[in-house]
Amino acid sequence: MKNLFNKLGERLNRVSSMKLTLLAVLSALIVGAFIIIFSDVDNLKNGDILGAISTVGSAYWALVVGSFGSLRAISNTINSSTPLILCGVSVAIAFKAGLFNIGATGQMLAGGMTALWVGFAMDGPGIIQVPLAILAGAIGGAVFGAIPGVLKARTGAHEVITTIMLNNMAAFFILWLLKTDLFQREDRTDPISKLVSAQGRLPRLFGFLDGRSDLVAHIGFIVAIGAVVAYWWFLKKTTTGFEFRAYGLNADAATYAGMHVKRLTVLSMVFAGGFAGLAGAAEVLGTYGYASTNFAGNIGFDAIAIALLGQSSPLGTMFAAILFGALQAGGRQMQTNSDVPIDLIIVLRALIVMFIAAPLLIKTIWRTKSAHVSAGQTFRGWGS
Amino acid sequence: MRKQTLKGLAVGLVAVVGLAACGSSDSSSDTTVAAGAAGLACEVTDIGGVDDKGFNQNAYDGLKLAEAELGVSIDLLESTTDADYAPNLQSFVDKGCNVIVTVGFLLADATKAAAEANPTVQFAIVDSNTSAPNVQGLTFATDQPSFLAGYMAAATTTTGIVGTFGGINIPPVVIFMQGFAKGVEYYNAQKGTSVKVLGWDIAKQDGTFSGDFSDQTKGTSIAKSMADEGADIIFPVAGPVGLGASQFAMDSAGKVKIIGVDVDMAISNPTQAEVYVASVLKKIDAAVLQAVKDALAKTGGGTDYLGTLENGGVGVSITSTITPELQAELDAVTAGIIDGSIVTK
Amino acid sequence: MKLELRGITKRFPGVVANDNVNLSLNTGEVLSLIGENGAGKSTLMSVLYGMYKPDEGQIVIDGTELVFTSPADAIAAGIGMVHQHFMLVPVFTVAENVVLGVEPTGTLGKLNIDEARRMVREISDKYNLDLDPDAVIEDLPVGVQQRVEIVKVLLRDAKVVVFDEPTAVLTPSEIIEFFEIVKTLVSAGRGVVFITHKLKEALNIADRIAVLRRGKVVGEVDPKTATESHIAEMMVGRPVQLTVEKNSAEAGDVVLKVTDLTVLDADGRTHVEKVSFEVHAGEIVGIAGVQGNGQTELVEALTGLRKATSGVIALDGKDLTHSNPRERHQMGMAHIPEDRQRQGLVGGLSVAENLVLTRYHDDQFSHGVIVEWDAADAMAETLIGEYDIRTPNKETGVGTLSGGNQQKVIVARELSRDLRLTIAAQPTRGVDVGSIEYIHSRIVKERDAGTAVLIVSTELEEVMALSDRLLVMYRGKVVAELDPKKVTPMEVGLYMAGSRPDSAVTA
Repeated sequence: MKNLFNKLGERLNRVSSMKLTLLAVLSALIVGAFIIIFSDVDNLKNGDILGAISTVGSAYWALVVGSFGSLRAISNTINSSTPLILCGVSVAIAFKAGLFNIGATGQMLAGGMTALWVGFAMDGPGIIQVPLAILAGAIGGAVFGAIPGVLKARTGAHEVITTIMLNNMAAFFILWLLKTDLFQREDRTDPISKLVSAQGRLPRLFGFLDGRSDLVAHIGFIVAIGAVVAYWWFLKKTTTGFEFRAYGLNADAATYAGMHVKRLTVLSMVFAGGFAGLAGAAEVLGTYGYASTNFAGNIGFDAIAIALLGQSSPLGTMFAAILFGALQAGGRQMQTNSDVPIDLIIVLRALIVMFIAAPLLIKTIWRTKSAHVSAGQTFRGWGS
Repeated sequence: MRKQTLKGLAVGLVAVVGLAACGSSDSSSDTTVAAGAAGLACEVTDIGGVDDKGFNQNAYDGLKLAEAELGVSIDLLESTTDADYAPNLQSFVDKGCNVIVTVGFLLADATKAAAEANPTVQFAIVDSNTSAPNVQGLTFATDQPSFLAGYMAAATTTTGIVGTFGGINIPPVVIFMQGFAKGVEYYNAQKGTSVKVLGWDIAKQDGTFSGDFSDQTKGTSIAKSMADEGADIIFPVAGPVGLGASQFAMDSAGKVKIIGVDVDMAISNPTQAEVYVASVLKKIDAAVLQAVKDALAKTGGGTDYLGTLENGGVGVSITSTITPELQAELDAVTAGIIDGSIVTK
Repeated sequence: MKLELRGITKRFPGVVANDNVNLSLNTGEVLSLIGENGAGKSTLMSVLYGMYKPDEGQIVIDGTELVFTSPADAIAAGIGMVHQHFMLVPVFTVAENVVLGVEPTGTLGKLNIDEARRMVREISDKYNLDLDPDAVIEDLPVGVQQRVEIVKVLLRDAKVVVFDEPTAVLTPSEIIEFFEIVKTLVSAGRGVVFITHKLKEALNIADRIAVLRRGKVVGEVDPKTATESHIAEMMVGRPVQLTVEKNSAEAGDVVLKVTDLTVLDADGRTHVEKVSFEVHAGEIVGIAGVQGNGQTELVEALTGLRKATSGVIALDGKDLTHSNPRERHQMGMAHIPEDRQRQGLVGGLSVAENLVLTRYHDDQFSHGVIVEWDAADAMAETLIGEYDIRTPNKETGVGTLSGGNQQKVIVARELSRDLRLTIAAQPTRGVDVGSIEYIHSRIVKERDAGTAVLIVSTELEEVMALSDRLLVMYRGKVVAELDPKKVTPMEVGLYMAGSRPDSAVTA
């Protein structure tokens, strides 16, 4: 009898975490709809409620069309998702080991710069240069990620503090680098890097279609999918992956079980940095072909929301990243087609994360009878 | 209205969620209109967004001038990341814009690529140079008005010390500081004085920078340390960071004065108007208006537009009382700059 | 006052924690609520104390139905609770702690500490609690701290006092003092609910015993007529062996040799001081002591989780003082940790994963960096059967199992390989009677197979029943080595409290 109950309870738990995520997205869209209506002052002034509602329709329709409605839309979604997936995996893998990697931005910058250097210093052949540049990106990010890991293992310095500080250091370091003769483009006075050589660019995903230079998606997406698979394989199949999971869920038990927890701390940040470095490489080698000071944008921070949304699981993180990428691509279309500003996308993303962070709220709103929501990853306190 | 509503919500929600996760672009306005008879003029912002109280906004003001003056329709797309530039440009090309104005050197590569792919569309880019036959670079000799501001500051300082600081050490910022310091230097050479400039060293080509364009507290603390060293007129070239310096000047009860940058800050920042003795103007709106005119006449491509004292693309707005003698001197210096006898860089 | 619980049902997703429970209590009597871990005792008391809202049923006091939405409501209705973990501010005095929340104040809200002292003294005198209002909590023994909690409850004028496992933290002599206090309370007209899993204590003090199993009251017994084995059977649902069956030990060579072991913590406080002892193959050595006398630190030092400050730890003659936990593990040391939730298990991982938690890196379960989950799963299936781990399947999260089954997962993992030394700390803490029986028999079996066994337990009865030799720790030192067959629990209790009875027989 009790076994049956347990089984049922578990089933309920598992289903509801997926369901709750979907409900969170749905709730965000509904709140977003109200925001669109209430800010549609022109229509409201005329008492044209239907007009305001149709604004919602056209905005959301543009979101769909802009993200999946055409080959170009899909290409844009893929392109936006690529760095988000890689950084999402970066944050997720650290979460798994119980660390909070806020430093994906800095690691992405570091990886992007090392990839960039290989990208412009070499000139083909692409078959060698591209993998080499991508590898350089992973290494650059990993080395930069190792710093907070080592600091934590050696001194107990909290990674939240150190990664935030390293983000700033990376930003300034890159500003300086981009003004050195080595990196700065010859004919420019502003901090813009040299161009990655033609052979060094990531091939475009739809390059086989003639005359569609507007399809910007590149093979960085394949690297990202590969990263998701690698992450899954690592967690499920390897001894170190098992150690990550145990350490992340219960550090004391990991110590008791004889795991080398300092090594795990460093390693998790190295891996996290490596994935974020790949994101930097994909952006620099694929999307831009050069580096500016802010090629990392907000991706490192969006990745935190993505890892939360995907509950740090490989598939969950990937889908969350694609969702955010689709919002980004669709948001551009929405901005073009309707007079709803792009800020709505920011609001939607914030709402989704807020609803995820507050499962109780979701449960109250939707009156789900489901069991306690998996608390997901726990974080160790300061100085532990 | 929508602007405020959404901006407030976005900021509030981001704060509630506790993650600085989401972007910081400000807001858009309701502009999608069918192309007017006179044409369609479009703007793609950089990641600062159109409410940046800086060049994105000034460029948009230029489009509004074009709307009023030329009867063109205008449209706007904001970018939230560097990755948005190319798709946004593509959207406008597809939409049939007659002229697309892009803002800032960050868009230079994307603008060049779009211009090469679409040779029949006219482009104009603020703060960058011409890169293709159908692109007009909109650039500004901001060293010239900064030189005048430096001259004026040197003439009116009571402590013999003035200051300047920048946001980030990049050419569009440094050019102001260099011009300002040169103006002081010129005054010293003319009058045999030794007014000192804090925050920029002409010989070393280096100076004081706040590190970003957003943290106003840094502006306050830099202004305070400069005031502690004796500066009584400060010229911040750091966007909103400069507002921190203005706040410090307000609190100093008249001991410290500020020279505004880009726009006439005595007008744009009315609550603190009293601290501005002058503003160095970079008239992006005028340049954009001109660029739209040129583009519609198909004469804009291939060469840069350079805003100078001579063509009124840059200037100084003096918002304090100065002596007629000083005014005459400034007029003479202006003439010297225009005829090339005074070097401002 | 008459307190009644009528038809209380409390459901959690997938579990009915309380199923139509009916109980009544008059003031002036002691009701003992007995049941295994997870039987629903705590849930029931949380309902009574206003922390949970029952799904069905009523709380009735003197014929009036009451609805509690918070503990404040329960306190106002005259119900007080002494929790297992005390809620005292360690740096405050007794008087300050007692009045916390109901401070007597003078003008301008100034704390009237004299009044607080007077109130403490008054209650202390009335119930023979012997409390000094000005003593600071952290300086007081646990038994005295418990009395402070009692005063807190009485000060809020509780008619019914609920004690949740009150004897778990007490020494034998403190338990006797505690029972005296309970008797005083009852004779002063208060009602007492005494929650426990210890049969002897319930028989000793209760006027009535209610037995809870799987959320239901399965019966009420009269302590004058009931026997331990009868109650145990009611708790578990089948006949239970209550005593440890074992033959006398056949001690072999020295396996573990500890010499002058001293352990200081990072702040320089001494937890273990010059401890020396040996454990031979085929014998069980028990370490008795009140919680917090260095046993935890001793075990951590022996297993490599804490650095030994000085001294030598040797296993089969090899010095492993500076070895890490994994090296010790590979030398044949098993460790059943005292806190299974914190150390022994990863609650978020499955039963199978927990069963290889200390062994996934062995050749048997991995090749290079790849874990051989097939081998691990096969072993998990075997162990689940062999150790009678009650789990829906091996993929179930170990955190959802009952305490006893969780402990069986640890015991299975640690004992299912060739061992030289087994160190078991609090092996049956929070474990149900049925599982206790099983775990004890496994430990004895391990001994009979020739393994050296070290048992550390604060349950005196357990450690005396299991051990072939008994060491007593007090303030970081081993103060006595006894033959458990020749001493009484009272005598051991005196050593545990730091005194040295002349009558005790040393082994």
